Amino acid sequence: MAEELYRLENLTAAYGGRTVLHIGELVIERGAAVGFAGPNGSGKSTLLRILALMEPPTGGTFHFRETPLRHVSFSDRRRVSLLLQEPYLLKRSVFENVAYGLKVRGVRRDITRRVIESLSWVGLNKDFCRRRWHQLSGGEAQRVALAARLVLKPEVLILDEPTASVDARSAYLIREAVARARRMWGASLLIASHNHQWLEEVCERVVFLFQGRIVNAGLGNVIFGPWKRRDDGRVEKRLSADQRIVLPAPADSRQVVIIDPTHMRLSVDRPAAGETCSLAGTVLSIAHRPRADAFLVTVAVDGHHFDVRMTPAAFRHLSLWPSDPVYLSFTPHDAHWL
Amino acid sequence: MDFLLDGFLQAFTLLWRHDPAVFSAIGTTVRVSTASVLLSLLLGIPAGFVLGYADFPGKRGLRTLVDTLLSLPTVFIGLLVYAFVSRRGPLGELGLLFTLPAIVIGQTILALPVITALTAAAVEALDRRLRPTLTALGAGGRQILLTTVREAHFGILTAAVTAYGRVMTEVGISMMVGGNIKWHTRTITTAIALETGKGEFATGIALGLVLLAIALGVNFSLSLLKRRWQA
Repeated sequence: MAEELYRLENLTAAYGGRTVLHIGELVIERGAAVGFAGPNGSGKSTLLRILALMEPPTGGTFHFRETPLRHVSFSDRRRVSLLLQEPYLLKRSVFENVAYGLKVRGVRRDITRRVIESLSWVGLNKDFCRRRWHQLSGGEAQRVALAARLVLKPEVLILDEPTASVDARSAYLIREAVARARRMWGASLLIASHNHQWLEEVCERVVFLFQGRIVNAGLGNVIFGPWKRRDDGRVEKRLSADQRIVLPAPADSRQVVIIDPTHMRLSVDRPAAGETCSLAGTVLSIAHRPRADAFLVTVAVDGHHFDVRMTPAAFRHLSLWPSDPVYLSFTPHDAHWL
Repeated sequence: MDFLLDGFLQAFTLLWRHDPAVFSAIGTTVRVSTASVLLSLLLGIPAGFVLGYADFPGKRGLRTLVDTLLSLPTVFIGLLVYAFVSRRGPLGELGLLFTLPAIVIGQTILALPVITALTAAAVEALDRRLRPTLTALGAGGRQILLTTVREAHFGILTAAVTAYGRVMTEVGISMMVGGNIKWHTRTITTAIALETGKGEFATGIALGLVLLAIALGVNFSLSLLKRRWQA
């Protein structure tokens, strides 16, 4: 059994008296790759900062490498490195930025070779070394920031939306470099991203957060309100002029619904009317999840995106391609009010 | 207006001929101003860093106090230092009154709030992502301080130049605790005050021009440095 890297129990974080994070239990093993998904404001960044040992939780139990947070040594803290969504580069050259972490660790030998090597991992050649921080595009700056972490070969690499605001090529190179970190020195990866397909590809498991709580052990399709109450006692959300989602009304005034991607189905023909809620959409993208031997198909329905997890057999049966028209269906009982 | 024109002509002559009295005042001014600014930087940069970086109870009150001290009248500082270093004062035995160290003490008190307040402002104005970035890269307390100061170096350099301008142009402290002793503690500003009182405009104008030239030189160097760092 793999050694525990993190153990969080009844952990809370609060700002200005308002609790923004409440994690009942979360255990992450050494060498694991864990994805964190959820809408903006769900507490992903707060959780990542706590996991990066950058800010202490307000309450609860937090163990890193089986050591309570207050006893974690400075050298152990240096095993973890966080990459922010919007990187900050020191007002220096690219070389000095990448070499900074090595220098503060007292490394003096082989710095140039290591800096050039880590820059190559993110697709930047050694000519970039002399560039100043203000001479880089957003994608290049993010890659330099990632290289500054990779050169340290951290045991735990934490990435907060690393590809959210970069160009497609930079996003690809970042994903490749992150995969290399795992391959080369077995780094544990903790990644928050809205790119569910990437999370599915890289991570053994995905934790879905909503309003500071873990609401699903895996990805989730979140449908926000407003929901309109109907005469038959049910509620509906209108997606377009002719498409709507109809669900049994919640017991209280809750306005957000989550549906597990494994509970959603795809078909080429419109499902028979009945208890099933069906929506017409278009296949946006397809990703294979090798570890689980499953496919994750993202379907666009009137501007809303839904993830559907399919078995290889079901996927092959439909032989789907991006931009194919499909019908997405689920039973109302699979929708859970949050 | 002829006396002013004559004053300017005579001033250039004094400077051209390296008038010993004029150059003694210039030398004294540069020595005490440089010493007091260096001392203020030594004390003010760590103080400003703490004030701008750390969160602690009473921070807002302390910040208000430091900001208030920015407008401390030089004659009041002169009076305070005089009271301490005069023979009856607690530091009277050191015999500092009417010496250059006494002026340096007074000018350090004058420059310290400038360095502290402007350093704190420069540190506060730094990007909020700097601290998590340094922590993520494994920097410890001392390394965070040094890197933060380096990141804020434009602001700190501006603070140093501002403080230098303030101490170089003050009269009250130099006059009260320096005593305006010729060849010894006479600075540019006390000399201007004295020579103007005597109706000797030429020397006053010459010294005033030197002050302007020093200010111009310092600011030009700062601008060059900024351009070089940004390139």
